[in-house]
Amino acid sequence: MAGALARLKVVEIGELVSAPYAAKLMADMGAEVIKVERPGAGDAARTRGPFPGGKPHPGQSGLFLYLNANKYGVTLDIAQPEGFELLEELAAGADVLIHNVWPPDMDRVGLNFDRLARRNPRLVMTSITPFGTTGPHRSWRSEDLTTWSSGGVCVLNGAGPGHPELPPLKAFGSHAGFQAGVHGAVATMGAVFARLRSGKGQHVEVSAQESLVSQNEMVFEYWPYMDVIATRLGRKPLQPLETMQCKDGWIYICCVEEHQWRSFVALMGNPEWADEEIFADRLKRGENWEALEIFLREWVGEQTVLDLYRKAQAQRVPFAPVSTMGDLLNSEHLKARGFFVELAHPVAGQHRYPGAPVQYGATPWQIRMPAPALGQHNGEIFGQRLGLARERLDQLNARG
Amino acid sequence: MADAPLSGIRIADFTWVWAGPYCTLQLAHLGADVIRIETATRPCVTRMLPPWPGGKPAGLDSSGYYNQYNQGKRSLSLNFSKPGALDLARRLVAKSDVVVNNFAHGVMDRLGLGYEELKKIRSDIIMISLSGYGDTGPYSDFVAYGPAQVPLCGLSALTGYVGGPPMHAGYSYADPNAGVHGAFAILTALYHRELTGQGQYMDMSQWECAMAVLPEGILEYTMNGREPERIGNRDPMMAPHGIFRCKDRTEKVLGFTVDQFVAVAASDNAAWQRMAAAIGRPELAGDSRFATLNARKANETELEAIVEAWSMTQTAPQAAQILQDAGVAAFVVADNKFLSEEDEHLKARNYFVNLPHPVVGVRQHCGIPWKMSETPLAVRSSAPLLGQHTDEVLAQVLGLSEAEIKTLREAGALQ
Repeated sequence: MAGALARLKVVEIGELVSAPYAAKLMADMGAEVIKVERPGAGDAARTRGPFPGGKPHPGQSGLFLYLNANKYGVTLDIAQPEGFELLEELAAGADVLIHNVWPPDMDRVGLNFDRLARRNPRLVMTSITPFGTTGPHRSWRSEDLTTWSSGGVCVLNGAGPGHPELPPLKAFGSHAGFQAGVHGAVATMGAVFARLRSGKGQHVEVSAQESLVSQNEMVFEYWPYMDVIATRLGRKPLQPLETMQCKDGWIYICCVEEHQWRSFVALMGNPEWADEEIFADRLKRGENWEALEIFLREWVGEQTVLDLYRKAQAQRVPFAPVSTMGDLLNSEHLKARGFFVELAHPVAGQHRYPGAPVQYGATPWQIRMPAPALGQHNGEIFGQRLGLARERLDQLNARG
Repeated sequence: MADAPLSGIRIADFTWVWAGPYCTLQLAHLGADVIRIETATRPCVTRMLPPWPGGKPAGLDSSGYYNQYNQGKRSLSLNFSKPGALDLARRLVAKSDVVVNNFAHGVMDRLGLGYEELKKIRSDIIMISLSGYGDTGPYSDFVAYGPAQVPLCGLSALTGYVGGPPMHAGYSYADPNAGVHGAFAILTALYHRELTGQGQYMDMSQWECAMAVLPEGILEYTMNGREPERIGNRDPMMAPHGIFRCKDRTEKVLGFTVDQFVAVAASDNAAWQRMAAAIGRPELAGDSRFATLNARKANETELEAIVEAWSMTQTAPQAAQILQDAGVAAFVVADNKFLSEEDEHLKARNYFVNLPHPVVGVRQHCGIPWKMSETPLAVRSSAPLLGQHTDEVLAQVLGLSEAEIKTLREAGALQ
């Protein structure tokens, strides 16, 4: 069966994570995605790895292969007039153009919606940038670390009030890019859906910073509601919510509801200290965490991870292991659900990748082809699709 | 101007806490009529959590947590333990396009609101469950909470200071991640239904959804059999790449000094050379200890000390501005006050929402993270009071008479 988005044609001009992830979400649901890369180096994700054997190779970056499976790959220098003309050709036949070109570069090459809409008024063009295409920071440079920091989430993570000397700590990975990408995919689909009724395309612009500020849990509101600045040094209002060491690894101790705490206390054999007034409810346990922590760390330190996890879960207490990558790949639960997918690539070999973020009942999530080599589909897309003659292609190749 | 993208689309929103409400918030942002089904007998957890105006809890309508993630939605209160309430929920589903829930696996089935039941009421219904572990598999009955998903998904094991223990992400990252992926799935299913008339059921495991955004760690293991080391704020491809202490805030907040930091990422050799000049150390641009990425990685501790010696003499906004002026990626490690009051960029983009709310008054809330050129987008209303729209929904959407509503209320079904 065809995917839900099988009728959608998407052109992506994406580097690293944000726009490529947005286009991947659509590609995996069946959309045809033509990915445009710079001639020469291509998408910077090709340099980032992880690489098999730890050896950098532009065709073997795990991040690139994950983000760009299911896509056709072409190269175009859109800063050159001939390159931009070809991009216009591609956009003329597309439903969606999704990109993360830095706004000053958009200006420089003339990448804007009005220009592309002249030939294709049904086009949905989505610009995903760190700070949006307008405003005083539109031209600011950013990498994932700085965007993550701009979003008000990085400031929350760190070693806590016991270690004020340690700085805020970035969560591992490229989460500014991923969150910008998935928010961008939502906004894009909103515009695609609107077009079903209006027949008209439009420009959608997505700010990575705003996507992160939008997900500050309850923390942002501490300022407008309480004049409180929330940082990594703040105390958690509720406890226990803490990572603790067992004999054989780490576990996350988590009791939000009172019944969960009572079950945990029973699991610990109803120790006398648990009856103390200072631990009587979740807010008091937060206030008196330093005292509580000593008791808990001592008991948890004598347990093993899986045993405590299963015993807690049997009592409906939501503990979770601090999973290593090995734990994830070997999880009986994830295996039963078939989460990881095995994917062969002609250059990078066969590896397991994260699979579908959602299991759809009627329309398949599918990997149909591996990520492209740089310019792999130039002949197919420019030649067969756009009808460029062989000599013209060679000419353009020669000029980059 | 055209209608909002999802105008005329109704969402029966059985979600609570954060992941589910964050999902339906995206749909409300796009113009859908999102009706939250709630009950005073077991209110949404976020209605009972801080922050509250002035720090004092004042009933179920005063939490900034709830009020942030439920903007633009309506609230219908139904007490399923009373006769008539479940029937109203089923009738609402008949008038809805999408049903969303993030209960533990099996809860909707036990209520009689499982997909197979709902499909009988409306054959093209779209339904998604955002559960912690998914509907199938040996752990499908396990209970999940937002903060515990961060360690479960592998993010904690990957995150930490160099040489230190596994750390958290600082917030329940897997929740909004699940919510926004759920919104994408719903939009995909709506698009498919619009073309084919076919609805469907979607099963999301929040755990899996979080692993979908962790390829770097997972692929290091599947490609090389290695658990990645915790590298703090560093990056294998950039140096300096870190978070550096600046001058403290000059003002105290609640009597406390607030420390401040700048995040810096020198993308390549040229960025580092510009940075060296910008921090008043132009001689370092030609210093062989720092000339190449490999050299900077080899001498990273020394390099970071040099950067911090400079950043400590600046406020965080000054440091970010100086580096950006030199074309180096840098930003204040923004806290909520910075975002709320000091980030001129967010102000200029009109990002924040300041709508009146009957209980908490006008409070600043986070707005819509995208803009559209042709379809109007605005947060239409502040978050609903518990049950604020019960009568309105029962009358307008379900066509109940005043007398019928009165009878249901007297029976306790609308609590």
